Formats: sequence, C-alpha cells, structure tokens
Amino acid sequence: MSLLEAQREQTRARYPDDEGYVERDGVRVFYEVYGSGEPTVFLLPTWSIIHSRHWKMQIPYLARHFRVLTFDGRGNGKADRPSGVAPYTEREFAEDSLAVMEATETETAVVVGLSCGTLWGALLAADHPERVLGAVFIGPAVPLAAGHPERNVHSFEERLDTDEGWAKYNRHYWLEHYEEFLEYFFGRIFSEPHSTKQIEDCVGWGLEMAPETLIDCHLALELCGLERFRDVCARVRCPVLVLHGDEDGLHPPARGAALAEATGGTLVTLEGSGHCPHVRDPVKVNVLIREFVESLEKRTPWSS
Amino acid sequence: MSLLEAQREQTRARYPDEEGYVERDGMRVFYEVYGDGEPTVFLPPPWAIVHSRIWKMQIPNFARHFRVVVYDGRGNGKSDRPDSAEAYGEREQAADAFAVLDATGTEQAVVVGFSWGGQWSLILAAEHPERVTALCFLGAGPGLSREPFPYEEYPFDEELGIDEGWAKENRYYWLRDWPGYVDWFFSQCFTEPHSTKQIEDAVGWGLETDPETMLLTEGSPVLEPAEVRDLCARLTCPVLVVHGSEDAIVPYAEAVALADATGGRLVTFGGSGHCPQVRDPVRFNLLLRDFVESVA
Repeated sequence: MSLLEAQREQTRARYPDDEGYVERDGVRVFYEVYGSGEPTVFLLPTWSIIHSRHWKMQIPYLARHFRVLTFDGRGNGKADRPSGVAPYTEREFAEDSLAVMEATETETAVVVGLSCGTLWGALLAADHPERVLGAVFIGPAVPLAAGHPERNVHSFEERLDTDEGWAKYNRHYWLEHYEEFLEYFFGRIFSEPHSTKQIEDCVGWGLEMAPETLIDCHLALELCGLERFRDVCARVRCPVLVLHGDEDGLHPPARGAALAEATGGTLVTLEGSGHCPHVRDPVKVNVLIREFVESLEKRTPWSS
Repeated sequence: MSLLEAQREQTRARYPDEEGYVERDGMRVFYEVYGDGEPTVFLPPPWAIVHSRIWKMQIPNFARHFRVVVYDGRGNGKSDRPDSAEAYGEREQAADAFAVLDATGTEQAVVVGFSWGGQWSLILAAEHPERVTALCFLGAGPGLSREPFPYEEYPFDEELGIDEGWAKENRYYWLRDWPGYVDWFFSQCFTEPHSTKQIEDAVGWGLETDPETMLLTEGSPVLEPAEVRDLCARLTCPVLVVHGSEDAIVPYAEAVALADATGGRLVTFGGSGHCPQVRDPVRFNLLLRDFVESVA
C-alpha cells in the first residue's frame, strides 16, 4: 500500500486476519481473510470501478459467524491493472477467484456476487460445482432480460454532442470528465435518500483506478453474450439466492427474476432499494445472507 | 395526536412503556417513560424548535440499561403552546421539568441538559439537589463566556432587507418564511458531512411548531449571567460537559466556561457540531453510560 493509499484508507470496523497476493499470468490480485468460522463466505469482486471495500458493511458481521474471504479484482484496489481488454473477461475473474480459493486453502465456499460479479460467480459455480456450496447474487448485471431503455440510447465509442444523463457512459466523457462520470454513476446507483456517504466512498474507490482501465473492463463485459451466459446458468447446480432492489436504476429487477428462474434460485425483491442494497440496507441483506448460508449447512450433514 | 402527526411519525426502535400529560397553570406537557432500570436518565427538551424525538438515538440504548424519561417542551410536539412570552421563560421550563419528575414518580435522576435545556437543567439541579444525582451539559451555552453567538450577528427585531445566513435570525424573516429559517438553522446545527437524514428529521420537527409560537420563546425571560454563575456555584452533583469542537450554534468557549464554573469534566467531540448525540450517538451513549454508572 502506498503512503497515499494508506492515508486515504478509512479506519475499519474489523481488520483482516490474513492477507496476501495471488499471481496468475503475471497479474497479481490482493485477498483478505477474516474470521475462522464455517463455512467460508466468498465476497467476489464486482466491476472494477470499485474494490473489495464495498463489502465493508458485510465483512464485520459475517466474520462473526463464518469465515470471510474477499479480494480486489484486477483493475482496482491493491490488485494489478493489466492493459487491454482480454485480461478483464468474466473467465479471467472466475479463474482469479479459484486461484484465491486455492491460495487461502478454501476447499468450498458460498459465493456472493454483486452486479457483474454475477457473471464470474455463476461461471465459478458452473465449472467447479464441488467448490461452491451456494451462490448469492445481488442486483445481477446479466443479459437474461432487457436493460433500462435509457441506458441504450447513446454510443459508448462515438464522441457525443451531449453529456446529459446516461450520455456520460461514454469513452470520451470518461477520459475527459472521469470524476463527473463517477458522481453521476454512483448517484444513479444510490437512488435511496441520505446516501451521500455511500456515494462519497464509491467515488473515492473509483478514483483509485484510471478511466483507461475502466474502458478495458467495459469492453470485456460487452463480450459476454446472452447465449453464453444462458448456458452457464443451466450448469449451475448449487442453491441460488437472488436479491434485487425494485428501484435499481442500473439493472432492472426483471434481470434478477430471470436469473432466479434460469438457475432455479429464490428471488427476494428489496422494496425501495437501488443497485447496492448491501451498502444501503446492510442489516436486511446481512441477515438474508446469513440465513441462506445457515440453510445450506443444514442441507450438508458432512459440514456438521 | 392529530391524523397528520400520526402519519408523519416515523416507526420507532422502541415505544414508550408509559406516557401521559402533566398540567401546570392550565398548560399541558406530554411525557414518555421507557424501561424500568436504575437510575432514571432524564432528557429534557431544548428550544421548542424540536421536541422529544431529538433524543431518538439515546432512548432505545439507555432504556436497555436505565429508565428514561423525556417530554415535549411547551411550544412543540404534543405539548401545549402557551400564548405569552413569560410562559416560555427558563424558570417556567425548569418548573415543567420538575413537574414531569413528580408526575412520573421519579425521585432522582441523572439529567442531560441539551442546548437551551442546559439552563432549565441547571436551575433544576441547583434548586433541587436532592432530585438530581448528576448533570450532563450537552452543547449548552448559558452565556458565561465572552464569545459572541453566531446567531446574534444581526438585530432580531429590525427589518434587515437581507436574508442571507444569520440575517435569517430575524422576526420578519421568521414570519415571512419559517420553513426557510428552519432549513438554515438545522444546516448550522448539523455541520458534519452526511447529515441529510438528521437535517430532514429536525426540519420536520421544526415545522410542527410555528413562527408565532417561536417568537414568544425568543422574547422569554432568561437568567442573567450572574444568576447562572450563582446556580453553577450551588451545584453539588458531579457534572459532565460535552461539546462539539465545530459547534456553529453555541461557541465552544461556552463549554470551557461552564466546566470552569461548575468544576465539571469537559469532553470535546472533535469534528462534532451542535448535536453530538444525534450525529455521534454511539460515542455519546457510551460516554453517558460510563458517567451514569460512575455516579450510581
């Protein structure tokens, strides 16, 4: 951690009991382990616009009951920032996740993914059913249902003659007005009143990466098509819980409903919540995660 | 409670175990009692711009350890709104506090005097030492320092022709735009970042009263500094003085002077504004619990 990062880092309610780096193909990601309960709850990275601190309202609570594993995905936090689109596909994040499990001797875990963390969470569960006990997906950014129409109006690549609303989701705007984009973006995410602290936190994390890297991450996710993901969902065998805010301004609740259906999971709609209910309604989400994890323990006698 | 009030009232973390009215000279004051522990923590209201819900972050916590008594001060909440300035005087307020202690069967209590409530708590503790086992001043400023108060920047009773900043502390502005004043006042109470929820709550309470009532509080009889000094010197109970370093309503120098005059212990909340119990409730609650247990 650089001096600047050390100064920026806020005090934490709980500090990791173990931390370290895992390297794959020359790219290092940074993981943290909290607590020593059973089973392990694995809080996956989401889109690299934020890093693992977005789980800060989950870690101290879940670590009192379970073992918690999390990591900064490539592109932000203490992880490396490779250049190019190829390092940021959902497969790379899934492989990183598996490598973190190996490095921390995590035989099995319940995975929790936010937004596009769903893409690699589902892939991990589909490819390694023996390692994933269950999966929780929050505000899933999945192509299984249509997105908000207003997010589909403007080109990402072309220079636009407007920067109103979602026109800010544009390569040129990011390169020239990155902080303004972050403020707009997180303003849409936290549609709940009294979210100034949460917006400020996320904008700060967003500024820890460069817009060039975020462009690579965006383009990599564009490559994940509907058919490919539908196939992944069909291969998920573990119990699935989907949480979706009915006011989610980034990904419509229909996407959460479609994911629950495609994976045979349970859908819980969170009334009044935006895209990050785990940040704005942590008590509700933490209790839901804990109940889900404990219901899995009851299903698997060998984990006693 | 009117239908409108009932609709406006938010859900609470804890509801009172007992509530009622106490009447003095035809004026009714509404009180609530929570829990049945020992001792009683008595939380009188401050200025009538808010009512007893200002203590909502204290009540559920304290009620798990102690017994808690709160009431709506005259002029707001479910209490009456007398129509003379005299009725809002500091000695009348102290008499209400005493009446609530009696009505709730509270023989003794630890008292927290918040903001203007510091004055009525001071009178109560100095004149009824057998009823007050300890006194905490919180953001209180009975006028012992030489520091000017920010809201005294402009004359209150003159038409100013401007309404920027503290020029809003003005009779004509209040009558013209009470909601505008309430917004401004609470923006100065909550100087900490990320206070939108606390401001919204307090603005709602401020709108439960009206500028005509509040003008009466503004002209009500107050203690002279010499009387305050005398009351402070008469205190026999342990005193704790809590004040935010960034209080933009009552100067920090007031807390220093108050601790000096009472021999009390001063605890500074770094970065806090006028209402540390609202914006830093965990820290304040733990501090007060330690204080209560130390005198029990």
